[in-house]
Amino acid sequence: MLLQILVNGLLKGGLYALMAIGMSLIWGVMDIINIAHGSFIMLGAFITYWLFTILGIDPFLSLLFSVTFLFLFGYAVQRYLINYVIRAGAFITLILAFGIEIFINNLALVSWTADVRKVKVSYGAANFAIGDLVTIPTVRLIAFGLVILISLIFFLILNRTNLGRSIRATSQDLDAARLMGVDVAGTYAITFGMGVGAAGAAGTLWSILFPISPMMGGALTLKSFVVVIIGGLGSMLGPILGGLALGIAEAFGSNWFGATYENLIGFTILVLVLIFRPKGILGGTS
Amino acid sequence: MNKKTVWRIAGFAVLLPAALLFPLVGNNFIIRFGTDMLMFAIMASAWNIIGGYTGYASFGNVVFFGIGAYITAVVMEKAGLPFWAAYMAAGGGAALFAVLIGLPVLRLKGHYFAIATLGVAEAMKALVQNLKITEGNAGIYLPMLDMPIRTQYYFFFYIMLATLIVTLLATHFLLRSRLGYALIAIREDEDAAESIGINTTVAKTIAFALSGLFTGLAGSVHAYQQAFIKPDSVFTVHITVKMLVMAVFGGMGTLFGPLLGACSIEVISEFLSNYFLVAHTLFFGAIVILAIVFTPRGMIDLFSQRRLSIAYFLQNIREHRI
Repeated sequence: MLLQILVNGLLKGGLYALMAIGMSLIWGVMDIINIAHGSFIMLGAFITYWLFTILGIDPFLSLLFSVTFLFLFGYAVQRYLINYVIRAGAFITLILAFGIEIFINNLALVSWTADVRKVKVSYGAANFAIGDLVTIPTVRLIAFGLVILISLIFFLILNRTNLGRSIRATSQDLDAARLMGVDVAGTYAITFGMGVGAAGAAGTLWSILFPISPMMGGALTLKSFVVVIIGGLGSMLGPILGGLALGIAEAFGSNWFGATYENLIGFTILVLVLIFRPKGILGGTS
Repeated sequence: MNKKTVWRIAGFAVLLPAALLFPLVGNNFIIRFGTDMLMFAIMASAWNIIGGYTGYASFGNVVFFGIGAYITAVVMEKAGLPFWAAYMAAGGGAALFAVLIGLPVLRLKGHYFAIATLGVAEAMKALVQNLKITEGNAGIYLPMLDMPIRTQYYFFFYIMLATLIVTLLATHFLLRSRLGYALIAIREDEDAAESIGINTTVAKTIAFALSGLFTGLAGSVHAYQQAFIKPDSVFTVHITVKMLVMAVFGGMGTLFGPLLGACSIEVISEFLSNYFLVAHTLFFGAIVILAIVFTPRGMIDLFSQRRLSIAYFLQNIREHRI
């Protein structure tokens, strides 16, 4: 029983990690708190839904489309909007992101109505058992694998490529990076695109597992916040550990106290982590 | 008397009679609209004390609103006390909560403070959803006001107005006090403020408590007016976002900016929802985006320009782009 709860928590945590990884990248590199993150996840989910419903494209295949589209969309948003206010400070970009969130959510609401929809794939509820102890939902396991894969790709891009060097240099010192010939505006746009693309991947997986609707983004943004904070900024490992920690804490918490306490647990952890380990579980104190 | 004070007195002299006479010219719907406008003006101004002047962008100020509303409900419904007692308790309770939560949370800076306050508000919502005394997710009813309908509208309008006036006067006198200067010093450079002997912890906590006090009072009046509240409606993060957008839209760190922001945002959203039944929030989002790009210092900054031209807006963009 305990083992099953642990597995459930871990797998849910994997999805949380994927949701948070893009937010963490954008926050860490550009100091932008992307309130619209959940809305981008929602877009990813709807792309998968429409491709599946209209064209019958398998959700895992549509991952390519949702990631590509959201990368381009994120790139454009940063390049032609956020870049124009970025030096006004984190607070201003935050309100801007809020405006973007309202815009996207309501555009989706107007276009697709508030109906709750579901991607009905045949293998949605598939699972397999290991011995008599644990049942593992297949889709969540695949999602978990994808999280690892995407984090690995991010890690390689950031640490092994010229683009990654540009991103890291820009994040450390914007003016110095520019003096060294880094195209700062372009680097920012690519970084935002990568973060939003990861949100698209999370949206696709979310749509296979849970019902979707245009207003689902807000709650997901909050969850991503919690994960980013618990894990701390500045490394690819942070959101993964944060996501797993939150998933496990929620699984055990709702088992012991009841499902209605899930949010209370999450946000209490958030506040405690902020007070005692403000740099996240990986970082030091203060 | 300096120039700023003259402006402020002139501002009060024009706005106050206008506000006092406002309910006499409108129907119940207009009065209710005005009351909501005042409520958001209170909350945006209260947010301004901690977010605008002290530089601590709270993302959880709705927690004071919700606490104010729930204290009012519990004191009136469960303890059977009159509204005035509940109103005082709501303000006091919210301020006390601000002190208790502020002591640990105000040690955090920047984003971390913002997210921590957000977490506090969400955790409090979840707590209220699960407590017996607040009747959980089902919500809680308040006693009805025993007055003719029209008088009720007047009653709530003038209480909100009085609360707003107290908020603005308190902010005005705060800014002229040592504490006010301390807050601005903290915003500009907290380490420097500390090194010249300002007790930053005390100053920040008082600012947060004042912010909580007035927000709690607004919540109290709102709860009595609604006669029914539930966790989702009074603890929603959207209220925080609204006060923050209003303060920024009007001009944070100025006395009348949040008031201007609250009035213009309320009027704009009302106007839009009248003309665009479905898409009004969409346009609202677009307006927020445009306002942030072109006037990041807020509407009030437009008044300080001698000559308003395209160049002003282009200058804003040039300053902040990369």
